[in-house]
Amino acid sequence: MTFHLRHQVDVNLGRGGIVGRRDFLRGITAASLAAGTLSWRDLVALEASQLRKQGMACILLWMQGGPSHFETFSPKPHHANGGETKAISTAVPGIEVSEHYPHVAAMMHEAAIVRSMTSKEGSHPRATYLMHTGYLPTASVKYPSFGAIAAQQLPHGELDLPAFVRIGGNLQNGGGGGILGIEYDPFLMPLAGKLPTNAAPGTDVPRYHRRLDLLGRLEAGAAGATANEEVAEHQKLYQKASKMILSSQMKAFDLDHEPTHVREGYGSGQFGLGCLLARRLVETGITCVEVTLNGWDTHAENFPRTKELAAQVDQPLGYLLTDLKQRGLLDSTLVVWMGEFGRTPKINPRAGRDHYPKAFNVLLAGGGVRGGQVIGKTDAGGGEVADRPVLVADLFQTFCKSLHINPAAENIAPNGRPIKIVDGGHPVSELFA
Amino acid sequence: MMLKSVTRGSARWQTAGMAVVFLAPMLAGRSVAWGLDAHEAARQVDQHLAKEMFGGSEGTPHDPLPRADDQTFLRRATLDLVGHSPSPEEITTFVLDSAPNKRGQAVERLLANPQFGENWARYWRDVIFYRRSEDRALLAAPAAVKMLSDAFNKDPHWDKIARQFITAKGDVREHGATALIMAQMANAEDTTAEISRIFLGIQIQCAQCHNHPTDRWKREQFHELAAFFPRIAVRPLKKGEDRSFEVVSMDRPKGKKDDKKPKRGNLEHHMPDLKHPEQEGKVMKPVFFVTGQHLQTGASDHDRRETIADWITSGRDHWFATAFVNRMWSELVGRGFYEPVDDIGPDRTCSAPHTLDYLAEHFAGEHYNVKWLMRTITATEAYQRQSRTRYEAEQAPFAASCSQRLRGDQLFNSLAEVLELDETLPPDAKGKPRGAFAGPRGQMNQTFGYDPSTRRDEVAGSIPQALFLMNGPALNRALNGRQPSTSLGRLLAETKDDKGVVEDLYLRSVGRDANDGEIKTCLEHVQSVGNRAEAFEDILWALLNSTEFLNRH
Repeated sequence: MTFHLRHQVDVNLGRGGIVGRRDFLRGITAASLAAGTLSWRDLVALEASQLRKQGMACILLWMQGGPSHFETFSPKPHHANGGETKAISTAVPGIEVSEHYPHVAAMMHEAAIVRSMTSKEGSHPRATYLMHTGYLPTASVKYPSFGAIAAQQLPHGELDLPAFVRIGGNLQNGGGGGILGIEYDPFLMPLAGKLPTNAAPGTDVPRYHRRLDLLGRLEAGAAGATANEEVAEHQKLYQKASKMILSSQMKAFDLDHEPTHVREGYGSGQFGLGCLLARRLVETGITCVEVTLNGWDTHAENFPRTKELAAQVDQPLGYLLTDLKQRGLLDSTLVVWMGEFGRTPKINPRAGRDHYPKAFNVLLAGGGVRGGQVIGKTDAGGGEVADRPVLVADLFQTFCKSLHINPAAENIAPNGRPIKIVDGGHPVSELFA
Repeated sequence: MMLKSVTRGSARWQTAGMAVVFLAPMLAGRSVAWGLDAHEAARQVDQHLAKEMFGGSEGTPHDPLPRADDQTFLRRATLDLVGHSPSPEEITTFVLDSAPNKRGQAVERLLANPQFGENWARYWRDVIFYRRSEDRALLAAPAAVKMLSDAFNKDPHWDKIARQFITAKGDVREHGATALIMAQMANAEDTTAEISRIFLGIQIQCAQCHNHPTDRWKREQFHELAAFFPRIAVRPLKKGEDRSFEVVSMDRPKGKKDDKKPKRGNLEHHMPDLKHPEQEGKVMKPVFFVTGQHLQTGASDHDRRETIADWITSGRDHWFATAFVNRMWSELVGRGFYEPVDDIGPDRTCSAPHTLDYLAEHFAGEHYNVKWLMRTITATEAYQRQSRTRYEAEQAPFAASCSQRLRGDQLFNSLAEVLELDETLPPDAKGKPRGAFAGPRGQMNQTFGYDPSTRRDEVAGSIPQALFLMNGPALNRALNGRQPSTSLGRLLAETKDDKGVVEDLYLRSVGRDANDGEIKTCLEHVQSVGNRAEAFEDILWALLNSTEFLNRH
């Protein structure tokens, strides 16, 4: 029976199939089939869409500060606005990127560049909020970060760890669970390569169990008739937290388990370690991982600084795509590289570039995105979107399409207002063609 | 004391200009007795409640629970009023006290403690800053706590406090009242929404984009209220090395008028045309939706804000008093007349309207004296009842006190009390005070804090919270029983009797005597572990991780 099911599921999953990543069939037992009223063929068809979703994951590489599109994926070497940044060719004929991204260039067949992103928000906090939630900040509704939405919307298998993890960044504007509740706040990892905060039991494991056991017995006795539900919730939470820290899945946080060649592939920088950790977490079954790299707010000394930042990003990003591909995870993992806006075409007197939301870049790979293509373009000076403008709502629709999330699904804010996952916009369908 | 507050209040009204005009007839009409004794008011509140909520015959499920015992009362009142748990000495003294009005006397002591102001200042900091539009607004938080703390301790009149917030100007690091405007970065619409939500309990911003199907407020009314705030602005301020912001009035157009950015340089508020959002929209006249009072366009920022502050706090509309009473009642009794606390108004359902009206009217009559309100509510039977969790939804509201999860600051204070920790944080390298989330208290607030306007049954525990309390290295060091420097180490050295240690630990952490079953479980644990210090570390660890410790019952 199980064999047939697996076969059927494989067929239904088609190209986006991710069988082998987790034990998808755990939930479909002969017993549950017998109990159901659907024929097992119907059931499998029904489950297939769930299963397709279940495999999906998302890695957001967040470039805090607003990366210059000129110095990353829209170089303009033949225009005064382009400054000293040169362009190099990539694995895909006709696509050029900044000279500081040779590793990404080599993986260009797996990645797509959107060169025509455009928005109106030029302040860091508001734009950070917008690019994380798809909405502008308001006092009345705390919109959830997209990672929280993914964690809420995408079912996952047996997972002892939190479904949304943020590496290297603190809770920022729009970076939390918002109206979805703290359950969906990201689990914070200040530094990749260390265990999460407070995750090591304060004592040896037998004593830790002894303490939990004592707590359980005292709670049962003290609760009396009045606080049973409260105690039950509390005990449930403690079991969940304990299950997490004692789980074998915690190994995902330990980068020492990686072979040397893989560690070297990601480079030795902190951002590279973050990318490696992100891959390990996704492999373990975590739905969304965000890795932050600070420092893109290059109002002065734009050229040396963006070059130095490229040195931190290029190799890890290129290798992340290679690594996910080799492990068969790329089809089911959407990788997004972006920041809150672009930078001004004119180079300012301090050799810097200022905030520029009117035109900026996003790089996408995996999750069904066809690599080796460029969406939209800017004019010769890089200041105006000349073709196929992509709005923030379009980008979020695109995320949803990639991850099989219904963008029209609604969450209810505490004030009773229904909030769509994405308000308006259309997915950039060329990306999936 | 009452007389003094009346005198102070009268003087204020004489100098408050317009307010006199609106206030005088209201008070004459309502004939509120000023200086009403809080205990008499509490008795009246209980009578109103009995009529409205517990009218059935005796023995029905609506019957209210009896009074909580002394220990429960003291822990509850101490957490509620000054934000930490009581010490074992305070509990023992209180229980042994034979004075008939010892509960009232304890409340007086707590109200006179400077921590009263600090506790509620932090509460309102959270009310304001959990809705911040940007994190850098937190720069204003320390000054806001200081300003509120002083106000609640020395001059606890909610109308004066509200007025300061609405009319604030200046450097946000120095003028704490700028917090509300700074939290919304002086965006006129968001500031309007927050002022209405916080001071009137009315979510008029629901009408910002469309007329609401279940509310009477129209879209125009929101934008007419926003028309009191088009001239507020937040500007960066650089004083030497320090970066700050200031809230200012912009009574002159800023820069050139720009057709592409119609909002720039506007001195009036415009209601956007929904069909043509790119256009400037319609100029709105400042009108207060509750009373219909209005100003003309062209008025200065100063006049607009002073006037709306007068109108909101004048008492002619009763939502100002009602919103505050409802919120404080909800915090103290554990359940609001209206829930959530910041969504009240004529189209919402109120559990016991006459009781709430009575309290709101007298609170206004007492010049919005916050301490009078606290004194009154804590003197009611409704406050002093035994508690239940909120899960028992079938029970009538106010038949029991509802348990409340401790806020981050209350939990931090209580841990510091139990473990005898010293909180003092050295100022940073530049000698400045630490920001809102700095140091151990800040970490605690980040992990355990919640927006106090949220319905409490929506506030859930999180995994990082559990991990913090179970495994936090600093916490585990502080409960080391083998160190003479810790509170447990000292207790174990001083008390040889194991039962005595168990009793002390219960009193210290959860504010009550351990029952026989608990003592037995603990003593068995000591025996089975075979190492006294280790066993008591486990016991204290379990107590600090218990549901009871994390809640106020």
